[in-house]
Amino acid sequence: MSDWRAHYHNEDEEDQDEAEENEEDVKFTGRDSLIFLIDASESMFEVNSETEISPFDMTIQCVHKVYTSKIISSDRDLLAVVFFGTQKHKNSVDFKHVYVLHDLDSPGAKRVLELDRYQGEKGYKLFKEDLGHSWDGSLGDALWVCSNLFSDIRLKLSHKRIMLFTNNDNPHANDSSKARMARTKANDLRETGIILDLMHLWKSGGFDISLFYRDIVSLSEDEDVGMQLKESAKLDDLLRKVWAKDYKKRVVSRMNLNLGGGVELSVGVYNLIHSARRPAAIRLYRETNEPVKIKTRWFNGETGSLLLPSDTKKAQVYGQRQIVLEKEETEELRRFDNPSLVLIGFKPLSLLKKHHHIRPSQFIYPEEELIAGSTTLFRALLTKCLERNVCIICRYTPRRNTPPRFVAMVPQEEQLDSQGMQTMPSGFHLIFLPFADDIRKISFTGKVVADRDQIEKMKRVVQKLKFKYRPDSFENPVIQKHFRNLEALALDLKEPEEMEDLTLAKNDVIDGRIEQLAEEFTSLVYPPDYNPDAKGPQKRKLDESAGRAEKKAKVEVLVGEDEIRQHLRSGTLGKLTVPMLKEVCKQYGLKGSKKQELLDAITSYFSKH
Amino acid sequence: MPLLTKTNLRSWRDVSIRVRACPCRKVYEDEVKVTPDRVHQSLEGQSSILEAKGHPDKFKEAERCDQRCLCNVVRMHRDLVIAADEVDLGGKNEPPVQSAVVLCWDVGRTMSMALPGEESSFEQAKKVVLLFIQRQVFAESKDETALVLFGTDGTSNPLATSDQYQHIIVHRGLMIPDFDLLEDVHSGIKASDDQADFLDALIVCMDLLQKQTLGKKYEKLHIAVFTDLSSPFSSDQLDVIIDNMKRAGITLQFFLPFALDATGMRDSGDTAERRSNISQGKGLTAQQKEGIRMVRRVMLSLDEGGLDEVFTFRESVEQLSIFKKIERKPMAWPCQLTIGSKITINIVAYKAITEEKIKKSWISVDAKTLRKEDVRRETVYCLNDDNETEVTMEDTIQGFRYGSDIIPFSQVDQEQMKYKTNGKCFSVLGFTKSVQVLRHYYVGRQVLKVFAAKDDEHAAVALSALIHSLEELEMVAIVRYVYDRRSNPQIGVAFPLIKDKYECLTYVQLPFMEDLRQFTFTSLKNNKKAAVSEEQLSAVDALIDSMNLVMDDGEELEDLFKVSKIPNPHFQRLFQCLQWKAFQPDDPLPPLDPHLKSMLDQPQEVADSSLASLEQLKKLFTLRDSGKKKEQKMAQQIFKNNDPEEQDAKRARSDDDFNIVSLAEGTVTAVGSLNPAKDFQALVQQKNVNFGEVTKQLMERVYQFLEVKNHQYYMKSLDCVKVCRKEAAKVGESQHFNTILKTLKENVEQKGCKISGS
Repeated sequence: MSDWRAHYHNEDEEDQDEAEENEEDVKFTGRDSLIFLIDASESMFEVNSETEISPFDMTIQCVHKVYTSKIISSDRDLLAVVFFGTQKHKNSVDFKHVYVLHDLDSPGAKRVLELDRYQGEKGYKLFKEDLGHSWDGSLGDALWVCSNLFSDIRLKLSHKRIMLFTNNDNPHANDSSKARMARTKANDLRETGIILDLMHLWKSGGFDISLFYRDIVSLSEDEDVGMQLKESAKLDDLLRKVWAKDYKKRVVSRMNLNLGGGVELSVGVYNLIHSARRPAAIRLYRETNEPVKIKTRWFNGETGSLLLPSDTKKAQVYGQRQIVLEKEETEELRRFDNPSLVLIGFKPLSLLKKHHHIRPSQFIYPEEELIAGSTTLFRALLTKCLERNVCIICRYTPRRNTPPRFVAMVPQEEQLDSQGMQTMPSGFHLIFLPFADDIRKISFTGKVVADRDQIEKMKRVVQKLKFKYRPDSFENPVIQKHFRNLEALALDLKEPEEMEDLTLAKNDVIDGRIEQLAEEFTSLVYPPDYNPDAKGPQKRKLDESAGRAEKKAKVEVLVGEDEIRQHLRSGTLGKLTVPMLKEVCKQYGLKGSKKQELLDAITSYFSKH
Repeated sequence: MPLLTKTNLRSWRDVSIRVRACPCRKVYEDEVKVTPDRVHQSLEGQSSILEAKGHPDKFKEAERCDQRCLCNVVRMHRDLVIAADEVDLGGKNEPPVQSAVVLCWDVGRTMSMALPGEESSFEQAKKVVLLFIQRQVFAESKDETALVLFGTDGTSNPLATSDQYQHIIVHRGLMIPDFDLLEDVHSGIKASDDQADFLDALIVCMDLLQKQTLGKKYEKLHIAVFTDLSSPFSSDQLDVIIDNMKRAGITLQFFLPFALDATGMRDSGDTAERRSNISQGKGLTAQQKEGIRMVRRVMLSLDEGGLDEVFTFRESVEQLSIFKKIERKPMAWPCQLTIGSKITINIVAYKAITEEKIKKSWISVDAKTLRKEDVRRETVYCLNDDNETEVTMEDTIQGFRYGSDIIPFSQVDQEQMKYKTNGKCFSVLGFTKSVQVLRHYYVGRQVLKVFAAKDDEHAAVALSALIHSLEELEMVAIVRYVYDRRSNPQIGVAFPLIKDKYECLTYVQLPFMEDLRQFTFTSLKNNKKAAVSEEQLSAVDALIDSMNLVMDDGEELEDLFKVSKIPNPHFQRLFQCLQWKAFQPDDPLPPLDPHLKSMLDQPQEVADSSLASLEQLKKLFTLRDSGKKKEQKMAQQIFKNNDPEEQDAKRARSDDDFNIVSLAEGTVTAVGSLNPAKDFQALVQQKNVNFGEVTKQLMERVYQFLEVKNHQYYMKSLDCVKVCRKEAAKVGESQHFNTILKTLKENVEQKGCKISGS
């Protein structure tokens, strides 16, 4: 088992690699920031009779979810919550009716708690007492405050977004100057690259975007469908909308797809799936709980003097010989190509083996910035690959000093859900293909095939336990548990929040559904005294008897005359292995070494005899 | 087949894995059951031939390679394997089984002779021997290799008497090959002026094998003879030799400077074809022809297919130039597959596909002494203060980030509170349509193959029922998988895989909700930018046709580019460089092996046939390189810098540069509303803009701001006016400014606003 264990550790190392890659992302692109700008006027607190929840409550729940999930998945992102239309105000420029609950910072436990105070009916009361409502607020002022929040941040921000939650489709119907100011400010935001999204919520009579918000919200080229969306009445819808907007497409790298003959287009590579992990522990100073810096130093064991990177070389030992390379050379030998995708050719999708999987796939989408015109060629390739059911085989070098791998580019057509939201973008998935070294030889047991009854019975079991798989159905219990523990410690809870482990089989439910069938099936496949749990002596006995049966088993290798004639009739003699054929030849005194020779010898022998 | 010629394939593939060399007795017992399939297993593992239904060609190739190559010497012989199994059955814990190989190398007088411009047989043989040993060394093979030289000046072997077995030296007994041996072959061993009987040498080798393997177990005994057959020999003991070889199960291969059938003795067939280019047969001496007859006789009496075990130096070099594939013993993972609490099937799973890594990693050594002991590492913890005060490990505790908060969380507490599993598990949560589990959902870095437990026929039937019902219903199982008590649970898919020789479930991990990223991309369907004409589409169509990697001649499909047959170029390159550096420590790295490079490239025929369609593509699609990427590349090429950190830093910086450059050049084209004063200044300084025009834009903004009637905007307007005045004075447009100001004033007064303090 040691081998397996060793690999298990290996995987951890790989994960580290992966983590580092991500780190790089952040370094280049800066932090993402998001402000929740929430309308706090009284209409937001009206309960929707259908869903039994007020738009405000729904918003708070939604922000709560975003907070907690950001803590887990991207705790470097900066979030803020700003209310407008409040009686009280709190902001750096003292604008009335704008209340900054949280300025831009990474979300923490305290913030989650503060937010939770305004949940539900009690929260409503508290909100009224604390902040109050007012109709005199100006959206322009609120946007101004938001843009100040962004500019107060000294870090490099890669993505600046404001999500506006409101159910008032015409906020300044009676005050054209306020309306104008809001428009102007919205325009300002757009110019600084701040994206303003409208999360319009339920309102009796429906939300009419054309009244006011059409001119306010950003419509980047990316979001051409955004405006046709209906207002969100349910939390799930709202959350989905928020997620879809919030996920910034963080490109892993940009590179050229080289088709050959000097034809190149540029693409961006993305990770649509990226394993979220429990974050690594950090060391804290015992006295103050402040994080300590960890420094690794290299020094000469004999003299104790510090070693600079140039004072060391790299080595490996093979055949009892230490082979030394310069550090640069260890990098150089990993260099084959510049980062690129190089077209090898096309293959039918059916040749792509389902079980040839070595690592999670990536996704590519055209990139106009490097090579203008890429989108058109990309679209043409995609259209034709979809139409002809082919994938593209490419040599893929993700980064410099990274040896190439081969990938199959599998075409993906865009998919939308019933609400018109994109569930799958159009582009190509990069499926990594294994090299010869990655495929292990496995000894397998002989083939025993179940009979029709047994299979039919199992089919009924399978159908009884049918469900619709969705990739978002399962939460990672390890991560969830970890953060619930931290949450409990952070918020001084007595116990961590209960967690349902969705990965566990619900045996009672399963048993209930297949009770009868399960018994019928086991009685069909297992003898009455068979106990799958039996271990120890019983099993060893089995082994021994198997050993004695060996000789007999070997004889069975020999292919009988009838079988050969059967094969000859059906033309399937070629299915036999060379040793089997040799064995046959030996029996009948035939000669030959290559398969075809053996086949010919046997065929001619049996046609005569 | 330009890239993956059969020769190439053969050379690295058939050196394959040694499942059966497993020290663990259990494996042997397991295999007992599967005798009928044994032979095919090895084939299957190497080349998936079984998958190539309707590919008789593939089949043949695999079979041939299986029998023919020198590489075989490092692989178990199938007959021997069976024997090993049988012997092992009753046995206790046996030590690891490996092969013993004797390289029997003629260094006699004629070997060093060569036609002008050609390499001598000695040099050629040396190359093959070197390559063989290199592969063994880098694969860290446990196989033992001995080296016997014949035709030497001196004599040193246990059989030697005053007139018998002369000029034969046992250079090195059975040992695991290492660099000393490599070095010997590389520069220590020289051709001599004597000669010796190759059959005598063979006897010395057999004697060596017999004596040195005594009491140990080897799964294969092998002798490889390298000679030009120019020395006289006596065939007195031929029968004894053959008899003994057969009895001891010793296999034999010959490596010659010419093809065996060069003299025309061998009949046709593809073998002859393959070797026809090595037609040195004309120059053979009578002695050599005699020798050839002897080799034929020996080989044929050992095995009817024995002639396939004779090679030329040249083809061997080609085949051995690729390093051995990485070998890993698959470990069995026994568990129970459960469906609820009522259905339980005993299973065993193996890691079948995983991204293989090099076992060894780089160690740091001192640049001067080259000793790793001289490089010590120390990790210190220090406070984040100005002095970077160091604290001891004991003074620190563990903590975790919870968003912006850092929560102290001791290891003990963490262990106690963390998610725990009940140990290994492979339980079915439910079944779903296979189309719902898309290929790109797959995560994780491995594929498991799940079989029924060994020796449990009932489990095999039960699992088979599951496999077939899933196959027929086109459904898959969604499974919770836990490797052991200490590992994290996974959700994964188990789908049926049914082959001629076996069937199993195949398990791949699926993502958790937390792993998904919902990126939204602009639709390409109705995208104006991506409008594609019919003509363009048909050009792509033509491209796909011309670059088809699958040849379909109506009867069978031939895949021209099987990635699963290509060795990982990283390993190949690493070994190439290591081996180079071992002998030339001060030279720069060698260039990439052309043979390896060609394996990574498009098949030549595809490259050729696609030229026209690519040309057409070029004509129909406008692709304009913005030049951004190139600049970066060039900088990196000029300042060839290999320190990754610095490189990253550089990359980051150059990215910034681009931003600044683009800002300066591209963005300010008009006076915007956000910071009109600044925009205005920038525009005026560009000088290629008409001052009047720019001022007009500025004033438009001012009027816009005034409409808003807000203090902040008033202030902005004032800034604009101030800047305008300043710039106007600079460029001598004061008159213009005055006019503007006047108009502004009138306007404001009209609207009843007052600007104070201007």
